[in-house]
Amino acid sequence: MGTVKVGLIQFFSITLLFELGTALVVNLGMAAGRDAWLSILIGSAGGIGVFAGYAYLYRKYPELPFTAYTRKVLGKYIGTPVALIYVILYINLAARDLRDGSTMLAMATMHNTPLFILSMLMILSSAYVLHKGFEVLTRTSLVFLLLVLLIGLFSTLMLMFSGSINLNRLLPMLEDGVEPVIRSVLHQNYMFPFGEMIAFTMLMPFLSNVKKGPWVIAGAMLVSALMLSFTMALNISVLGDDIVERSPLPLMPTISKISISDFIQRVDIFVVMVLIIGVFFKISVFFAAALIGISDLFGIPYRKMLYPCTLIILFTSMLDARSFTEHLDEGGRLLYTVYPFLMIAIPAVLILVSVLKSYFSAPRPG
Amino acid sequence: MNNKRLGLSLLITMQMLLPLVLTGCWDSVELNRRAIVSGVGIDRGPSDDQKYILSFQVIIAEEISGEQTRSSSPVALYSGSGRTMFEALANASRQTARFLSLGHVRVVVISEEFAREGIKDMLDVLERESDMRLTSLVFISKDQPASEVMSTMTVFSKIPANDLVEKLDTTSKQFGYNYKMEVDDVIRGIQVRGGGPVINGVFRTGGRERGDSNDNLKTITPDTILRISRLAVFKDDKLKGWLEGKTAFGTVLLLNKLKEFPVVIKKDNGYLAFNVYQSQVSVDAEAKDPEHPVIIIKITQQAALKESPNSLDLTSPEVLEKLSEQLTMEARSQIREAIAAARKLESDYIGFGEAVKRENPHGWKKVKDHWEDIFAACEIKIDADTVIRHTDMRGNSFQVY
Repeated sequence: MGTVKVGLIQFFSITLLFELGTALVVNLGMAAGRDAWLSILIGSAGGIGVFAGYAYLYRKYPELPFTAYTRKVLGKYIGTPVALIYVILYINLAARDLRDGSTMLAMATMHNTPLFILSMLMILSSAYVLHKGFEVLTRTSLVFLLLVLLIGLFSTLMLMFSGSINLNRLLPMLEDGVEPVIRSVLHQNYMFPFGEMIAFTMLMPFLSNVKKGPWVIAGAMLVSALMLSFTMALNISVLGDDIVERSPLPLMPTISKISISDFIQRVDIFVVMVLIIGVFFKISVFFAAALIGISDLFGIPYRKMLYPCTLIILFTSMLDARSFTEHLDEGGRLLYTVYPFLMIAIPAVLILVSVLKSYFSAPRPG
Repeated sequence: MNNKRLGLSLLITMQMLLPLVLTGCWDSVELNRRAIVSGVGIDRGPSDDQKYILSFQVIIAEEISGEQTRSSSPVALYSGSGRTMFEALANASRQTARFLSLGHVRVVVISEEFAREGIKDMLDVLERESDMRLTSLVFISKDQPASEVMSTMTVFSKIPANDLVEKLDTTSKQFGYNYKMEVDDVIRGIQVRGGGPVINGVFRTGGRERGDSNDNLKTITPDTILRISRLAVFKDDKLKGWLEGKTAFGTVLLLNKLKEFPVVIKKDNGYLAFNVYQSQVSVDAEAKDPEHPVIIIKITQQAALKESPNSLDLTSPEVLEKLSEQLTMEARSQIREAIAAARKLESDYIGFGEAVKRENPHGWKKVKDHWEDIFAACEIKIDADTVIRHTDMRGNSFQVY
């Protein structure tokens, strides 16, 4: 590890794209109804709190990925199985995102293209970039971030000009009190998309600046939270909370409402572009995390495991569920059963053990 | 030697991999294999087996702009029936030589008969289908089957559906009370508790005989004209009645969708005409006690004098002040009439319940089940103000000496 170093700007952009990823196009936080934007903001605060824990571990072992310091802290016999679980987690998350992306694409535009073909093309492009290396991925993200931001700016302005925004649809705020918002935060929003930052514990050793690095990543998380929250508020103020709640991809109908004197219209292909870009970076980051984990655990060179891993992700994503509904249902349940254990509990144990270790092994005076 | 082998194997691999890129075109349908649907008419069939009769107005691209025009109709109407909308679509597309593509549907016309029965079920496919856009405009065809509206040749646009869109645009910008009502507006309207959507009415005037052929356009006075007029008001998803004239103006004023409209008032023994070109309306509620809410309606209007045959001194601010007071009275009476009409139809399509909900969400929960009773009796305060900005290009009007 640590031969390649990646600059702060690149890390900022890949974090931002990773967080926006699929979350930008799905109906995020709609368990809170029209206060979804609020639950995203609260969720991001929780997510940044969790990330502070990861940052603590990183500062302690700046040269090591998560799988390496797990073994260091917990010892070889407990640490290795735990690290292995994380490799499986990353592969699974990559596969889930691949399924998300390919199914949404099939629903939105490509009705007759087999899912397998869509998935294969997507994962092959990820594999190609990772074959070039993690650094290339981060530099690619810079280009695409610009594109996503431009699309976002354009769409927001056009929605304003076409007069589809009605802020009354966001009212009344907190109709049923704070309870639904908190429930939505606990069930979803601090984990998705913010808890998925666990993948960055594998990538942070590439950071060129140990001191500023975690701050930059936290900053990117905050920016992404603001953008996600703004997008959800936009969706609701254009479509109303009921339609948003019932659409799997609410950004699509929102953008399709853009119509400026019958000249600028049907720009919803932008949403498909944002979807593809987001899914690509999400898969790639998880994929990279899994590869780094494998090469660290088993000492196999990173590139050698690339294609086998591609196949595993591709088939996991295909076998994951029969229908998209089943896939989403599964994902929803994972969010508050399995993921908190892996993304909060185990890192917390690691922090605790490493603090205790350093306390007891500290050289005592006298 | 080794290099040559490597090159060869690379070439073969590339040849095997490159066709993968072609899978991106799996869903492609070439433009000349598509039949673009510009409008859909939905009629109630006679039986449950033929519940939906869909008429698709399909653009014949060669007739719109092509060198080999056959000077025949620029659009064709295909219809199909079925138990569901989708089945009807499938049945209709069996008659067409090309794939019906729904991405450019601009107009959806629902027959009055069907609207009285309820429109909820048919809207599901309109919002679910990913090819359809939410920006399609919805109309109710008054007294006539929707298929007749869809099959009327129009003067200003070769494609009748486009003509309808342009007519609505024109009437909503000037003189008319009709405004753009799109699919998602209708869905949200249906979901308003105690209320319903307001949808534009459309109908055909004149004889039917020549309306669907080019002959309709050969005379100076077309036999048949499509008119957008009246508003269909709903309770939940069922059509309750039609509004027109002053009531319709008042209703659209309350919904804050009115851009520019004429107002005529009587002064002494003549009539004066004004053009109200700016009106801002807000509907709020004072709902500490949700059982007895007070609805507060604020209107500010700007008007310009357009016609005055009287000998009034229009250069005097006092006179204009009096006239603007009269305009304010007119606005009040428009709104009162609109509210009276809504109460008579027992449907809160003007959004008073929404105002109470915004103001007092907890109280709203308690009263929403019997909102109809409260709506029929609640107190209303109208706070109106009108300014006459100018008298156009003359001061006083000329007189005979």
